[in-house]
Amino acid sequence: MIRAATDVGGTFTDIVFYTIDSLTGQVGPVSGAKVDTTSPRYDIGVMGAIAKAQIAPADIEFFAHGATIVINTITERSGARVGLITTRGFRDVLEIARGNRPDLFNFDFHKPKPFVPRHLRVELAERCTCTGEIEQPAALESLPEVLAFFRREGVESIAVCFLHAYVNSANESAVVARIRHLWPEVSVLPSHAVSGEWREYERTSTVVLSAYVHPIVQRYVESLDQSLSMAGLRQSPFMMLSSGGISTAAAVKSNPISMVESGPASGLYAATRLGSVLGKPNLMVLDIGGTTAKCALVKDGKIALTTSYYVERTRQSPGYPIQTPVSDLVEIGNGGGSIAWVDRGGKLHVGPKSAGALPGPIGYGRGGEDPTTTDANLLLGRIDPDQFCGGQVQPNLEAVRTAFEVLGASLGISAIETARGVIRIANANMATALRRVSTHKGYDPRDFALVAFGGGGPMHAVALAEELKIPEVIVPANSSVFSAWGMLLTDLRHDFVRTRLLPLTDSGAAQILEQLLAMRAEAAATFLRDVTSCDEHALRFEFFVDMRYVGQEHTVRVPVEPDQIVGHVTAIAERFHRVYEQRFTYRLVADIQVVNFHVAATCPVPKPDWPQKRITGYVLQDALTGTRAVDFGLLGEHDTPIFDGLRLDPTMATQGPAIIQEPNVTLVISPGHHLSVDAYGNYRVRLVDSTADTRSRS
Amino acid sequence: MSEALFTQDIVKDTLVAIADEMFDAMVRTSMSPVIYETNDFAVGITDADGILIAQGSGDAGFLATLDTAVQALLARNQGTKKIFPNDVFMTNMPYEGGGTHLSDITIMIPVFFEGVLVAWAVNKAHWTEVGGAHAGSVSTEATEIFQEGLQFPFVKLFDQGHLNDVLVAVIRANVRLPESTLGDMYAGIAAARVGERRLVELIARYGAGVVLASMDAFLDYGESMTRSALRKLPRGVYEAEDVVEHDGLGNGPFKICVKVTIAAERIVADFTGTDRQAQGPINCSFSGLVTAARCVLASIASSEAPVNGGSFRLLEVICPPGTLVSAQSPAPVSVYYEPLVAAIDLMWKALACAAPDRLPAGHMRSVCVVFISGMHPETGELFVLSEPLVGGWGAASYRDGDNGQFSCGNGDTCNVPVELFESRYGLRVEQYAFHSEAGGAGRFRGGKGVILDYRVLGEEVFVTYAATRCVEPPWALSGGRPGSLNRLEILRLDGRLDTYTMCTRLRVRRGELIRLITATGGGFGDPRERPRGAIEADLRDGFVTMQQAIDDYGYTRSETWEGMSG
Repeated sequence: MIRAATDVGGTFTDIVFYTIDSLTGQVGPVSGAKVDTTSPRYDIGVMGAIAKAQIAPADIEFFAHGATIVINTITERSGARVGLITTRGFRDVLEIARGNRPDLFNFDFHKPKPFVPRHLRVELAERCTCTGEIEQPAALESLPEVLAFFRREGVESIAVCFLHAYVNSANESAVVARIRHLWPEVSVLPSHAVSGEWREYERTSTVVLSAYVHPIVQRYVESLDQSLSMAGLRQSPFMMLSSGGISTAAAVKSNPISMVESGPASGLYAATRLGSVLGKPNLMVLDIGGTTAKCALVKDGKIALTTSYYVERTRQSPGYPIQTPVSDLVEIGNGGGSIAWVDRGGKLHVGPKSAGALPGPIGYGRGGEDPTTTDANLLLGRIDPDQFCGGQVQPNLEAVRTAFEVLGASLGISAIETARGVIRIANANMATALRRVSTHKGYDPRDFALVAFGGGGPMHAVALAEELKIPEVIVPANSSVFSAWGMLLTDLRHDFVRTRLLPLTDSGAAQILEQLLAMRAEAAATFLRDVTSCDEHALRFEFFVDMRYVGQEHTVRVPVEPDQIVGHVTAIAERFHRVYEQRFTYRLVADIQVVNFHVAATCPVPKPDWPQKRITGYVLQDALTGTRAVDFGLLGEHDTPIFDGLRLDPTMATQGPAIIQEPNVTLVISPGHHLSVDAYGNYRVRLVDSTADTRSRS
Repeated sequence: MSEALFTQDIVKDTLVAIADEMFDAMVRTSMSPVIYETNDFAVGITDADGILIAQGSGDAGFLATLDTAVQALLARNQGTKKIFPNDVFMTNMPYEGGGTHLSDITIMIPVFFEGVLVAWAVNKAHWTEVGGAHAGSVSTEATEIFQEGLQFPFVKLFDQGHLNDVLVAVIRANVRLPESTLGDMYAGIAAARVGERRLVELIARYGAGVVLASMDAFLDYGESMTRSALRKLPRGVYEAEDVVEHDGLGNGPFKICVKVTIAAERIVADFTGTDRQAQGPINCSFSGLVTAARCVLASIASSEAPVNGGSFRLLEVICPPGTLVSAQSPAPVSVYYEPLVAAIDLMWKALACAAPDRLPAGHMRSVCVVFISGMHPETGELFVLSEPLVGGWGAASYRDGDNGQFSCGNGDTCNVPVELFESRYGLRVEQYAFHSEAGGAGRFRGGKGVILDYRVLGEEVFVTYAATRCVEPPWALSGGRPGSLNRLEILRLDGRLDTYTMCTRLRVRRGELIRLITATGGGFGDPRERPRGAIEADLRDGFVTMQQAIDDYGYTRSETWEGMSG
């Protein structure tokens, strides 16, 4: 039997799979393949990847799938025409938004355009109070007229958001039931089904974007399911979620927004699993792609989830909020394709504009004219020109050099100096992002290992670890298909988040427990309904509460256990004080309040042991392919040995300066640091902290 | 050489990142919704002399308040002799550096490295309560500063690490919500300490020489970015005049005027000719006026330019003391933000024709803050809410104005979600929507103001409200029509409708409705030139009524319009 995962990325669709001997349970080696992504018919690429991997769909017993369809539909504005139904008096909440102007001195500022124009935002008489009493039932009698209007206007998908539906969803449910009765074929989503949290603008935005992608995701999942089943796959695919878990196709169809950040989530999840295999529960994770770099922090083997997620948010724009559980990561516009430029004040910048995959960096020779981070890496000898893009492209180094000469001319420096500057600025941007997930939250990078993957991760990781004093860098084996690999390591998952204000007191404890148990029961019921094979006793639950000092708004998330609540209020309070103090440097003598409840339920999926690297029997010298001059920035140019990573066996070790090359990986190790290959084929770089301080002051 | 250059660039970016982190710490630790939701605060770093290096964005209206506060502190102490490591200073003095009104407290922490003062970590935030005659410490009736709350004249809150217990006890005894007030105080200290710690780390990493040189280079960079923006403006003298309608005591209108001179390497804003300071609290001090002029300069300079002391080297602000925008002691100042916003809008109006790609027509020009206090009907506890309102912005030469955005004096200010609002206060929100009042017609239409209804659920509440642009509407450009007006309405139980533009502690009883209306922005260009398709889209969206389409735009009805709940 085969277990397989496919990950649809912006450029490539990856497949990763392994076999299990159905008699012995023996796990075979992990293999992978890459094909071009086929937008907009992504399922063609998926089928192509399966074909290229030469596996028979009928032999696949488990198939996981990660898709970018949700985020692509939003960023390309190719979703459905949405009609919104709100509480009377509040149809403009979506457009007023929070009224803020992040670009505060820009008097020509414009808020991002709402996804539903005003005339398609319809109000209904209904009202629920903040304590959850239905003061006025929804005026269902006006729905036929509303729906007739929506039909005339070509509405394909309806979002419903009423005030306080997070406490009592009866009015939303009644309206949705009536709509389904009156117009069965239209997509309709109530806000409480996508978010159980308060803040009406954020929840409205979430349900609107859900409705916007709903019909598209539904069609996509159905056509994928159909293609796969026609090819012989016996079970529907499982879909990767933003929370780091997977879910059934049916669950995703009813809550499509839960997939919005699934790509980064699976890579992060794989890193977390790798950490647990290596006995490294505390990690900083760095995934550098073509356009962006993503950073996250893993503490005690866990990635924090957040529901404060935004698409298209920048320093200048508030973006669009989505209240769905997403791995808490920082993403910056700084990838291999990020363009270097000099502003009017003579300051060098890298990104956020990217050359993307097309035209791409100058080195690609596809018409790119703007110098990028990848081009700087080429010019400095860090990337092997003969192995560029897996050896398929011979880069025009002269064109690259000329572009850096032009850029450097405005600063009065040479092409090489400019390229060094680009690498330093790019690294500084990424270091800032890594600080935002660590030091800003009260964590010391010295207590973490840095796991780096994606096309650019291994190229920059060692320099970043030097800067942040991270003692070890881990570049995982198969790092270029790491995201797809993550999907084979995760579990079926459902997250339930609800806002309910309760005091953290002895008398409040019973209600806190009651709320958590109710959510656990809801989670179990959802699993039993969605996954026929699910055994209730196998379910695992994690419980969190978001707490704050009374009077504050923002909260801190603290894990709890149901059997340690009643009678344990002081201990929970102490845990909150501690987390709060770590994050904010002080604690208050004040009452504590619980605001949100979060239950994460997982149903374990069988997983392979982490595969060990096969011993080839080569010696280190066999892996050495030559030397070349590599510029290590402030550490100068060094004649650097180049190793073929595919010939490096476990237990082999060497010392920087060194470069390890695989077809899609370049690991740059600056002078002095120790490299070894572990039993799994991961590259482990142990940093020698000697030079950092003296060097920078010279 | 290039290595040093890029090291400087990296240090500059790190300084900005430090300000961001201070901002984050402030938001997350504050006890007051006015800070954590409306972001009515600013954080920043200055050099040892109080020159602004980097500022974390909260309110535009705090742009000249962090650096000038440090400068005033240094002047008061005649240098740094009495300033020690682990000191924390606090001020809210309105007429000196950093001054706004008493509710805005500045916290300043000197940053020492190896015993030498190298920088300051500073923040300024609006505390919900600082005592005085009225809950919320803002009134429209004060005639002296002493009615507006406690004054903290550059006092030491911590003296070399020792908390000034006496001061804390005095604060606790003199404010209505001591837990919230002291919580805000500790949040301010925490945010400044984050800045202090990061600066020390940065210097430890690169060395004091490199960091201080980078600070200077960053200031030069700010100057050069501003210079290049100024070069694009046609040289000349630009003048404008406007009014602030009243002072809360029935006096007014007050004239404000400006003459802006754009020279080769200089911009001078001269407010001479502005009326004398008012008897009522509608005065702002000179640092408010400097903020106003800096905001307009930053607005012209584009978002790429850093906001630091270097960016403002080319700016000179002139105004004789004792005017509405350069008030002297003991003038009341609690509504200082209205003349400040008016001064921004005035200079913006003067330069609109010179920088048409950066400056649209006039907006609501009022923060429209409402303060409501009362007993929560469920808990019986006192609540005090204060919130600014969103309104309409002006149209530009290429697009309609933005609907429902906070005023130019605000910034990354967020409204309070209805669901939080109702849980926290004894009021029910019945409507939060764009209105369709006339105003702002043009080839490009002014953005819409809003209507916001609060129903009183408890026995009674007290409302304090102050708005300008309640007689003179937002200005238009190139033949567009002016916008509409800001006001407060109370729908009484007996059916009477009372309208206010300023009031203090107005009693509103159970079942009555508090209705807040904000202005629509000014239009751009002749409304008759607006394309028919755009007018019909407005009709469909309910932004324009059929009558307005006919009267203002010359629209001729051709078919019936169908829409829902428009």
